[in-house]
Amino acid sequence: MSTRRHFLKLTAAAGLAPAIASAQGAGRVVVIGGGYGGATATRTLKALEPKLDVTLVEPSPVYTSCPFSNSVLANLREISQQEFRYDGLKRAGVTVAATSATAVDAATKTVTLADGNRLSYDRLVMSPGIDFNWGALLGYDEAAAQKMPHAWKAGAQTMLLRSQLQAMEDGGLVVMSAPANPFRCPPGPYERASLIAYWLKIWKPKSKLLLLDAKDAFSKQRLFQNAWAELYPGLIEWVPLSKGGKVISVDPATLTFTTEFASHKAAVGNVIPPQRAGAIAGQAGVADRTGWCPVEPVAFESTLRPSIHVLGDAAIMGGMPKSAFAANAQAKVCAAAIVALLAGRKPQDPILINTCYSLVAADYGISIAGVYRPAKGQLTEIPGAGGVSPLEAVGGLRGQEALYAASWFRTITAETFG
Amino acid sequence: MRRILLAVLASALLLAGPAQAADAPPGASSCTGCHATTKIAGSVIPRIAGRKAADIMTFMREYRSGTWPSSVMGRIAKGFDGQQTDAIAAWFAAQPE
Repeated sequence: MSTRRHFLKLTAAAGLAPAIASAQGAGRVVVIGGGYGGATATRTLKALEPKLDVTLVEPSPVYTSCPFSNSVLANLREISQQEFRYDGLKRAGVTVAATSATAVDAATKTVTLADGNRLSYDRLVMSPGIDFNWGALLGYDEAAAQKMPHAWKAGAQTMLLRSQLQAMEDGGLVVMSAPANPFRCPPGPYERASLIAYWLKIWKPKSKLLLLDAKDAFSKQRLFQNAWAELYPGLIEWVPLSKGGKVISVDPATLTFTTEFASHKAAVGNVIPPQRAGAIAGQAGVADRTGWCPVEPVAFESTLRPSIHVLGDAAIMGGMPKSAFAANAQAKVCAAAIVALLAGRKPQDPILINTCYSLVAADYGISIAGVYRPAKGQLTEIPGAGGVSPLEAVGGLRGQEALYAASWFRTITAETFG
Repeated sequence: MRRILLAVLASALLLAGPAQAADAPPGASSCTGCHATTKIAGSVIPRIAGRKAADIMTFMREYRSGTWPSSVMGRIAKGFDGQQTDAIAAWFAAQPE
């Protein structure tokens, strides 16, 4: 009894009692989406303010990472190495609601869940990733994706495309289509073409890859094209928009891609379809006519609905690309800003970094980096910084960047999922 | 009595931790996407938490000027001025190794 009184007296003297009391009312944050953005946000919120009530809404018990999934296609990794669970979030004190969000009401600050429950929030973080604009490409719908996989959400689709490649006869034509900007992972289609070519060269040396593109330029373009000429001469043909690369329709029954100029029948067809923010963003009213979510550049709060923050691929982040590194960086900035806002403080102006590695072969990596800060209402790349790997590699740089890519993956997944 | 005092000090430290973390200077939180805050088996990217601030500043200055060859760090260092770099270096130096 006397011990307890002592303790109370001491805590009061140290000024701790009020801190505990106010921290208990620190607030409720709901996070929708357990990818690189959402999972990082939950863990960072709990690390910065343990008294926060943080709930992740995510129906899948396993997250399958898109970064490095192109290596699964080339048989350089197993899909199990791409899989991450939410035990690390639970250990950090995050409540995981293993269900999907069916509605967001910004006026009453509530999220309705598919299991019938309803969550109230002080701040909502939405990191729903992408959904596909089914039908934007004539003939391409969910059923067609079982014949011509997108593999742009990793998991079963990745394994389907890999098994199709493995079953293909040597000499078969692989056809890929890449969408117009913006889309998830700008260098991704070109890394995929590279690693499929890497695999074809070993296992199906008579085969070729045709990459039909709805644009005339792409990320790390000269680095990719130089590497293709060096490593896979004559194997990859890239057809840009101006040469008739835009695919108008596909026929899943015959695996045919049709452009304005020609039809190409594939032995294996991979369609990377046009995209938009995950469907819940539209329902919540945070997506605009483009299908993506405009946000302010300090706390990434929606410019359309108050107290809702949008992260990662779903958001319009100015000059910052749609990458896992970017989503993770944005989540950490957003979490710190939310802690400040809930405590009645003004969030500081952030600086963010993006780094993105692509593999052209198992031991050949290239990179792009950028540094961003708020300017004129959006995240803007700081001039004079950033850029891509040098065109002339010296001192084993390509091998070094392949090693850095693998180390980055281990580090960022540990930080994101614990 | 002594045990009580220790418990109180421990809880005071716990409460101080997050506040410090929230005050990370602009740019610092992005670094940990590559430079791990925990030990990562097999990573070839060095950890910077707990390193001397002066050492981190030296690396960043040489990366910025391009004197030391690097992959991405030369490109990233150019996005930060001397003052911003100093703040990030001091913050990482204060983190547990």
